[in-house]
Amino acid sequence: MPHPTITALRSLVDTRFPVATRKPGGAVATGVAAIDNALGGGLPTGRLTEITSPHPGSGGQLLLCQLLLTMRAARQRVALVDAMDGFTPESVPDDALRHLVWVRPKGLSDALVATDVLVRDGNYGLVALDLRGIAERELQSTPKGVWHRLHRAAEDQPTAVLVQTTVGLVPAVLHRLELRSNVGLAGLRRTWTELLAGLTVETVRGRYRQAEELAG
Amino acid sequence: MNFAVLRVRDFALKALRRAEPALTGKPLAIVTGEGRKAVVAEVSPEANLEPGLTVTLAMARCPGIVLRPRDVSAEVEAGRLLQAAAFTISPRVEATERGCCTIDLRGADRRQTETVLRLRLLELKAAGIPTQAGVADTPLIADYAARQGSPLLVVTDPGEFLRELPLNVAEPTPAQTEILHSWGIRTLGALTALSKADIGQRLGTEGVGLWERAAGETTRVLRLIQPPKSFIADWTYEPPIEMLEPLTFKLQRHAERIALELRAAGLVAETLTLRLRLDDETEHSRGFRLPEPGADVASWMRVMLAHLDTLRLPAHVQHVVLKAQPTRPQQKQDGLFETGLRDPAAFWENLARLEALLGAERVGTPVRGDTHRPDVFILERPAEKVPPPGPSPLHPLRGMALRRFRPPWGVRVRTECERPKSIEGPLEGTVQAIAGPWRADGDWWNPGAWAIESWQVEIDGAAYLLTRTAAGWRVEGVFD
Repeated sequence: MPHPTITALRSLVDTRFPVATRKPGGAVATGVAAIDNALGGGLPTGRLTEITSPHPGSGGQLLLCQLLLTMRAARQRVALVDAMDGFTPESVPDDALRHLVWVRPKGLSDALVATDVLVRDGNYGLVALDLRGIAERELQSTPKGVWHRLHRAAEDQPTAVLVQTTVGLVPAVLHRLELRSNVGLAGLRRTWTELLAGLTVETVRGRYRQAEELAG
Repeated sequence: MNFAVLRVRDFALKALRRAEPALTGKPLAIVTGEGRKAVVAEVSPEANLEPGLTVTLAMARCPGIVLRPRDVSAEVEAGRLLQAAAFTISPRVEATERGCCTIDLRGADRRQTETVLRLRLLELKAAGIPTQAGVADTPLIADYAARQGSPLLVVTDPGEFLRELPLNVAEPTPAQTEILHSWGIRTLGALTALSKADIGQRLGTEGVGLWERAAGETTRVLRLIQPPKSFIADWTYEPPIEMLEPLTFKLQRHAERIALELRAAGLVAETLTLRLRLDDETEHSRGFRLPEPGADVASWMRVMLAHLDTLRLPAHVQHVVLKAQPTRPQQKQDGLFETGLRDPAAFWENLARLEALLGAERVGTPVRGDTHRPDVFILERPAEKVPPPGPSPLHPLRGMALRRFRPPWGVRVRTECERPKSIEGPLEGTVQAIAGPWRADGDWWNPGAWAIESWQVEIDGAAYLLTRTAAGWRVEGVFD
């Protein structure tokens, strides 16, 4: 329960500046319980969510494929900006590709431009920017303004924006989760249901509870 | 053709005239400074004067001249109109300086962009700020072209274009101008005919900078601005007004800007709200629901004037606020289970933009090839509608998903009993667990016959796909 002074201040700000306090919009359920719980229901629309996979084999690609299935069931369009061109169409059934727009940029700069265009489009339920595999030094050299611009572009759009990286990268992101699974070769024999249920997810940064409080 | 520059010559003058149509056709000058130091900074062609003259001298040489200070609010409004026009061309816009915007056109269709630019220049002229535009491969050359453009200049051959431009386009310092004139250099082509090193030796690093600007070699990263999120205009009348005419005029001007901002964002107005603050501290407010959501200023004005014509207010109007409530344009009637495009125009335009930026073969919906050969697919044009999902797979999906390395990593593999034991190369380590091999081949009847042997190997706790072909061992990807 927040302090009464804080509640009073929030209510004052709400009254004086109704536009300044954004109410949380919808969310895109990922179909992965650990992630949906950590995010308070799914990837929030109109916001950037960052999921880092520091180690190969931690389940980032499986999550992406699961998102394709979930969005396919909801008949929502997905744009995948695949900076290192790592997506494998054979990983999912053919039917789970029919709502996908796969963008294969030639580097980080093109990937960021393409994401900017797609986030502003408004026709996609999910825009996923996969930056895994790009050198950390190059990632860290991305001007902060690029991310702020993406934050602003995502606002008011009915689109959830997922950024997949190997290191925490996006400033002022509402949620940053880290995937910490490592199943090795044994994971190749388990079903997706078993693998997704066993995904280890740690919330590095998460403010959905605060957002709920703000919304009153 | 990567960048466009929109530039308004004598921006302060044009912004002032746009706000005060009574000044049209009169000799006009913008005054800066005070008292004896006051000089005319910008002068309209009707006055036939050089900028920099003192006010007294300007009045002596042009007796009918109207002298005005800068009107900051008029400039802000004109600047926003210019930016809105830029945003209708591309979402990547820089507000370079007063009366100048630079637009990142990378990925845009050339012919279509040129047409849109021409239309936008016509609209800006009709809205009271005649604008010049230049299009070129770098922001600098595009700016040079905009300064020359009448109204649009597309530079296809930068060398040819720069050669005949006068030296002052590259903005030399007065000292550099004097030296270069003494050498007989008056054009950019004449300057760049000398080597950069020679210029550097004689004029120092500033000289090198000038040479690079003259050669069009300088480029820079744009400082992009955000498109507006709210569609609102407010202005004050000093002194307050009592007639409808001045209100109508400014209402039209501000509505033009708001409509352009809405179009740039791919939106339309659903309702308009007009608030009039009166000089007796009261307020009159009225909301207008448009017959059909749109961004057409003429229809907005018809709706608002129908109300204003019959309006009788108890006091003079001092301050006006016009606000448009945006909504997405209704493209078509959605069915109950319709999952087509919300904004088809934006969808196909953005896809075309990405195809131009990255190549058509790098954007689309993947469709697997009719072969057992791994990693064979084509990218097709995305469907207009997302079809209903097919039946669930018969068998549960199994295993971590493969993230491919394209191109695959060539590695050296040490084997034991014909099974990989350790790997050297971009991926190094001892194989901790292994499964395989799986062998596949095909197209043996074709010259493009293929054969591949696949292994799943675990190294440092992660599973990788290792293959052997005629080309050798390769790590194809990681199971992630």
